[in-house]
Amino acid sequence: MWRAGAVSLALIACFFRASLCAEGLVNEDVKRTLDLSSHLAKITAEIQLANHGASRVNGFTLALEAELAPHLAFIGASVKGEEEEDESLELKETTVHGQSGKFFEAQLPSSLAPGAKLRVKVETVFSHVLKPFPTHITQAERQLVVFQGNHYLYSPYPTRSQTTRVRLASKTVESYTKLGNPTKSDETVEYGPFKDVPPFSQDAMKIHYENNTPFLSISSITRTVEVSHWGNIAVEETIDLRHTGAYLKGPFSRYDYQRQSDSGISSVKSFKTILPASAQDVYYRDEIGNISTSHLQVLDDSVEVEIRPRFPLFGGWKTHYIVGYNLPSYEYLYNLGDQYALKLRLVDHVYDDQVIDQLTVKLILPEGARNIHMDTPYPITRSQDELHYTYLDTFGRPVLVATKNNLVEQHIQDVVVHYTFNKILMLQEPLLVVGAFYILFFTVIIYVRLDFSITKDPAAEVRMKVASITEQVLTLVNKRLGLYRHMDEVVNRYKQTRDTGALNSGRKTLEAEHRTLSNDISALQARLKSEGSDLAEKVGEIQKLDNQLKDLVCRSCQEAERLVAGKVKKDTYIDSDKTLSGKRQELVSRIDSLLDAL
Amino acid sequence: YVSSSNAGGSVSGNGRHSSPAGCGGSGGGLSGGLTQPAGWQSLLSFTILFLAWLAGFSSRLFAVIRFESIIHEFDPWFNYRSTHHLSTNGFYEFLNWFDERAWYPLGRIVGGTVYPGLMVTAGLIHYILNLLHVTVHIRDVCVFLAPVFSGLTAVSTFLLTRELWNQGAGLLAACFIAIVPGYISRSVAGSFDNEGIAIFALQFTYYLWVKSVKTGSVFWTIGCCLSYFYMVSAWGGYVFIINLIPLHVFVLLLMQRFSRRLYIAYSTFYIVGLVLSMQIPFVGFQPIRTSEHMAAAGVFALLQAYAFLQYLKDRLTRQEFQTLFFLGVSLAAGVVFLTLTKPSLPPLLRYAKIHIPIIASVSEHQPTTWVSFFFDLHILVCTFPAGLWFCIKNINDERVFVALYAISAVYFAGVMVRLMLTLTPVVCMLSAIAFSSVFEHYLGDDMKRENPIKQHPFYPVKNSSVYSKLIVTMLMLMLLMMFAVHCTWVTSNAYSSPSVVLASYNHDGSRNILDDFREAYYWLRQNTDEHARVMSWWDYGYQIAGMANRTTLVDNNTWNNSHIALVGKAMSSNESAAYEIMKSLDVDYVLIIFGGVIGYSGDDINKFLWMVRIAEGEHPKDIRESDYFTPQGEFRVDKAGSPTLLNCLMYKMSYYRFGEMQLDFRTPPGFDRTRNAEIGNKDIRLKHLEEAFTSEHWLVRIYRVKKQENRQALDHKLRNIAAKQKYTSKKVLPSRFH
Repeated sequence: MWRAGAVSLALIACFFRASLCAEGLVNEDVKRTLDLSSHLAKITAEIQLANHGASRVNGFTLALEAELAPHLAFIGASVKGEEEEDESLELKETTVHGQSGKFFEAQLPSSLAPGAKLRVKVETVFSHVLKPFPTHITQAERQLVVFQGNHYLYSPYPTRSQTTRVRLASKTVESYTKLGNPTKSDETVEYGPFKDVPPFSQDAMKIHYENNTPFLSISSITRTVEVSHWGNIAVEETIDLRHTGAYLKGPFSRYDYQRQSDSGISSVKSFKTILPASAQDVYYRDEIGNISTSHLQVLDDSVEVEIRPRFPLFGGWKTHYIVGYNLPSYEYLYNLGDQYALKLRLVDHVYDDQVIDQLTVKLILPEGARNIHMDTPYPITRSQDELHYTYLDTFGRPVLVATKNNLVEQHIQDVVVHYTFNKILMLQEPLLVVGAFYILFFTVIIYVRLDFSITKDPAAEVRMKVASITEQVLTLVNKRLGLYRHMDEVVNRYKQTRDTGALNSGRKTLEAEHRTLSNDISALQARLKSEGSDLAEKVGEIQKLDNQLKDLVCRSCQEAERLVAGKVKKDTYIDSDKTLSGKRQELVSRIDSLLDAL
Repeated sequence: YVSSSNAGGSVSGNGRHSSPAGCGGSGGGLSGGLTQPAGWQSLLSFTILFLAWLAGFSSRLFAVIRFESIIHEFDPWFNYRSTHHLSTNGFYEFLNWFDERAWYPLGRIVGGTVYPGLMVTAGLIHYILNLLHVTVHIRDVCVFLAPVFSGLTAVSTFLLTRELWNQGAGLLAACFIAIVPGYISRSVAGSFDNEGIAIFALQFTYYLWVKSVKTGSVFWTIGCCLSYFYMVSAWGGYVFIINLIPLHVFVLLLMQRFSRRLYIAYSTFYIVGLVLSMQIPFVGFQPIRTSEHMAAAGVFALLQAYAFLQYLKDRLTRQEFQTLFFLGVSLAAGVVFLTLTKPSLPPLLRYAKIHIPIIASVSEHQPTTWVSFFFDLHILVCTFPAGLWFCIKNINDERVFVALYAISAVYFAGVMVRLMLTLTPVVCMLSAIAFSSVFEHYLGDDMKRENPIKQHPFYPVKNSSVYSKLIVTMLMLMLLMMFAVHCTWVTSNAYSSPSVVLASYNHDGSRNILDDFREAYYWLRQNTDEHARVMSWWDYGYQIAGMANRTTLVDNNTWNNSHIALVGKAMSSNESAAYEIMKSLDVDYVLIIFGGVIGYSGDDINKFLWMVRIAEGEHPKDIRESDYFTPQGEFRVDKAGSPTLLNCLMYKMSYYRFGEMQLDFRTPPGFDRTRNAEIGNKDIRLKHLEEAFTSEHWLVRIYRVKKQENRQALDHKLRNIAAKQKYTSKKVLPSRFH
C-alpha cells in the first residue's frame, strides 16, 4: 500500500517539476535550420524564449521527437548574450509525463524574470537518419536519400512564430512535403512562417533528394594511448570503416571508374585525418602490412594524413586500418611532484563530419601509477580496469577502459586523467636491464672459471699445467732477452757519454734482474720436471745457451770499457764487436728455435 | 646509405679474417706483449663471428628497409599463416589443425602434412619473448627469423670448418656463408621458409657428426641425433643427411678406415636418429619403408657385419680366408648399397621428373645454368676445387666426409636450381680452406719472421720473396673484396624483392609502389562473405589464404594434381563449360593476375600454357594444347591467335573491357604491354560472370560467379479441359503446343 503511494508521489513530483519548468514559457520566435548537406542531420534552432508566467523561471525543457531521439549523437544549448560570447548550458536528461520522446532540462545561469526574454540556441546532431532510397544503386547512378522529420519545432511550449529552413546537398530534389507552400531555391527549402503552434505538435516532413557526399561511418574505433614517462605518448587508433550509403549493385568496373569522372560519385577515394601538430612517426597499416597509398603533410598547427584506403569504398563496402603516431609527453603530461595529470583528446579527428558508432578508449598509464582518477568532458561508460604488460614490465601497467556509442565531431574534447607516480620507479627498468646483464656475465664467469666435468682427466690436467708453465717460461725468456737489448743501449750510451757510473749501475741491474729471472726459469724448469714433461730438458738447454749469451754480453761490455779507456783501437773493437754480435745472433736464433718448439 | 653501409660491413668482415688465418698458422708462437695469446685469439674469433653475424643479418634487410616488414613470395605466406595459428591456438591445436579453407571441398590436415620445425621455432621464440613481456608481433618474429638463423649457420659453419681444417679457415667460412648470395636467396628477411632454418640444422648436424666420428663419444652422437631430429622437423632435405652420413661410413669402410669411433658414432646415430625422425607426424614410418632411407639401413647392417668380422679376425688365425671373406662381403654390400641408393639419390630430385607438367612448371625446378653458379657463388665456385684438393691431399676421416659432401652437392645443384642451396655451405667451407692455406703460406711465414725482426733490430732482413708475397696477398684480398661487393649487389638487386609489393621507378628516380596484390586481397578480406570460395591458379592459393583469409580451391601445396587440372580446365574452357565446372566446385569468385596494363610479365596469360598442359594431362578429351596455338604453332593473343584461346575463360577475364582502354597515344586501344600485341578479341561479353573488383593497375581482377537465375516464368493460360475436350479432335494438337 505504502509502495503504490510512493510511486504515485514520485509521478506527481515528476509532473510537478516538468510543469514547473513549462509554466508560462513561450517560444516567441523560432528559426530552425536543418542542415542535410552531409550524411548527418544537423538541426539548429534559435529560440526566443519569453516568460509569460507570473514567477521567475530557472530552467526550461528541450524535447526531441521519438522517431529521431534514438539517433541523437549530440545536443548542446547555449544562451545568446548581448555580446558575442555564447554561454553553454548544462543539460540533464529528464522525462515528461504523458509525452513520448527524449527530454533534456537546461538550467539557466540566472533566472528569467516574468516578462523577460532570452535567446537560446539549441544544436542537435543526428546520425544515420538519412536513409538511402533506392537502397541499391549501380556504379553509374547517383545516390538519393530520404529524410523524415518534423515541420515544427518539437517543444513543450507553445510557439508563436517559426520558420524552418532546410539545406540540401544538391539542387536535385525528387520530392518534398509541401506544408504551407514552401519556397525552394537552389539547395534550400524554406517552410513557414508557421503561427501559433501548440506544444508537442508534429507534422511529418519528408524530403527525397540527391546526396553524393561520402556516407562514411566508423563502425568501431579503438583508441589506445600509452603514456611513457621517458617522454613519449604513443597513440594508436584501430578503425573499422564502412560506407553506409546506398549499396553498390552489380559489377564494379575499374575502367569506368578511371575513365569517367562521375562514375561512382558517391564512393570514397580518400579523406584527410588531422593529427596533432607534434605527431611523429605516423604509420598507417592493416593486418597485411603498410598501406602505401597515403600521404603525410606537416602543417604549422597540425599534421594532415591523407588516408586512402587500399580500395575505393562503395556503398556497403568496409575496410579496417590502424593509424598510429607518437607525441612528446611534455605537451600533454603535467606534474607537480608525484602528482601527474594527463590531458589529451578522448577522441580525435578522423574525417570531417565523422560518425563513430562505437568508441573504446584505452589509456595505458606507466607501471606503478596509483590513485587514478578520470575527468571526462561528457558521460562515458567505464569498464573494468585492465593490466597491460610490455617491455620490461613486472607487475603490469594499469589500463583505463572506457566506451561510448554514437559520437560526432562535437565530441572531440579533452579528457584529464590524474594519478600519482613515484619517480623512484623510473629507475626500475634500467636496473632490471643492468641486473640481467650482470647475471649473464656472472654465469659466464662461473662457467668458464669452474670445472663442471664429472670425471677427472689427469692427463689433460697435466697438459694444461705444462702449457701454463711453458707460457710463463716463454714470457720470462723474452724478458731476459729484452734485458740484453737494454744492456746494449746502455753500452752504446756509455760509448758516447763515457759515464762509467751509469755503465756500472746498468751492469748491476742487469746482473740482479738476470739472476732473478734465471732463478725463476730454473724453478719453472724444476716444476716441469716434476710434471714429467720432456720440455724440462729443452728449458735446460735454453738456460745453457743463455749463460753463453750472457757471457757474450759481458764481454762486449768489457770491450766497450776498454775502447773508452783507450786500451784497444777502434778498428780492433769494431772487428771484435762484429764477431761477438755474430755469435749472439746465432745464440739468439737457437734460443728462438727452441722457444718455437716449446 | 644502406647499401654502402652493408658493403662496408661485409668488406670489413672479409678484411679482418686474414689476420686470424695468419694467427692460426703461427698460433702459440712468440707472444710479444700479450700475456695470454689464447685469450686474444678467442676474443678475436668471437669478434669476427659476431661481425659475420651482423653483416649477414644486415645484408638481409634490404627488403625491410626498402619496403616494410612483410612476408615475401608464396610459400612463406602459408608458413606465416600456420605459425599464426600455432601462436594463437597452441601447439596441440596446431598439430590437429584441419584447414577447411584450403583445397575446397577437400580441406587439408595441416598438422600431418607439414614439417613443423619452422612454425614451432618461430612460435617458441614468440612465446618466450612474450613471456618476458617483449611484445613482438608474430609477423616480425617470422620476418626476422631467417636472418637471425643465418648467423647461427655462420657459427655452425665455423665449427665444422674448424673441425675439418683450422680456426682461420673456420672464420673465413663463417664470413663467406654469412654473405654468399646462394644462401641469402633463401634467407632474406621476410622469406619465412623451411630452408632458412634448415641450412643451420644441416651444418650443425654435420659438425656434430664430424665431432662424433673424431671422438667416438656417445655424447656428441646424441647431440648429432638431436640436431638431425630438428632438421627432420624442419625440411624434407633431411634425406640428404640420412644418405650422406651412411655414404661417408661406407667409403671409410672401403678405405680401410674402420675404427671403434666410427662404429660407436654410426650405430648410435642410426638407431637414435631413426627413432627420433619417426616422431614427426609428416615423416611417420617413411624411414623404414621408403627406398631413400634404405641406404642408411644397409650401411648399418654392413657396419655390424664388418665389426663382427673384425672381432673374429682378432680371434681367428686363418688370415687369407678372412681377407677373402671381407672382400666378398664388402663387394656384396657395395652392390646392395649402390642398388639401394640409386633410386634413393633422386629423392631430392623427385620433383625433377619432367613428365609431370605441374612440377616442370615451377621455375625453381629447372636445371641450373652455369651463370647461376657464378651469380650465386662468385669467386668461391672457382676456388672450392682447390680446397677440395687440399682436403684430399691431406686426407683423414672427416675430410673424406667433406669431399663426399662436396661431390654429391655439386651433382644435386646441377640438377635443380633450388638445390644450389645445399651446395653453398660446402663451397664456402672448401673455399675458406683454400684461401686460408694460401694466406697461411704467404702471410704466416712473413709474420713469423717479422716478429724477431722487431725484437732484434740488429738482425739482417732476408725477405727476398716479400714482393711476390705482397702481390699474392693483395690479389687475394682484392678477390675477397670483389666477392663482398658482388654479394651485396646480388642481394640488393636479385633477392630482396618481396614480390607481393612491386615498385617501379620514374625517370627522376622517385619510386612508385604498385600495391595491387594487397589491394585486391584486402578487398576480398573485407568485402566478401567470410566463407566465399575463390578460384585462382594455384600460385596464389597461399597468398589468398594468408592475406584475404578466404577459402581457396588449389594452393601451392600441389598435392592433388587432378584438382589443379580441374581448375586449369575451367580456366581454359569457354565460359559456359567453365561455368559448369565452377558451379560444381561452388566457386563464388575467380581471381586472375593480368599484367597487360603495366607490363608485368608473371601474369596468368603467360602461365596459361601450363594450365592447358596440366588440364590436358587429366582431361585429354576436352583440352588439347594444340588448340591454343596458331596453325604456325605460335601462342598469340592478337587477331591471329587461335579462336579457342580467344574465347576461353582466362582470355575473356583478362581482357574484359580492356579493348576499350587506350594506354597511350602511340598504341591502339587494347594494346597489351606485356605481350606487345593488340588483343584479338575486343568485344568480350560475360554471361555467367561479372566484374567484382579490379585493382588500380589492373594487376588483379576478381570476377563474381553469378548465381543461377530463376527460370523464366512461362507465359501460359489456365487450361480449360472440359471445354476443349468437347470441341477438338484428338488428332489435332492444341495450338499452344506448336
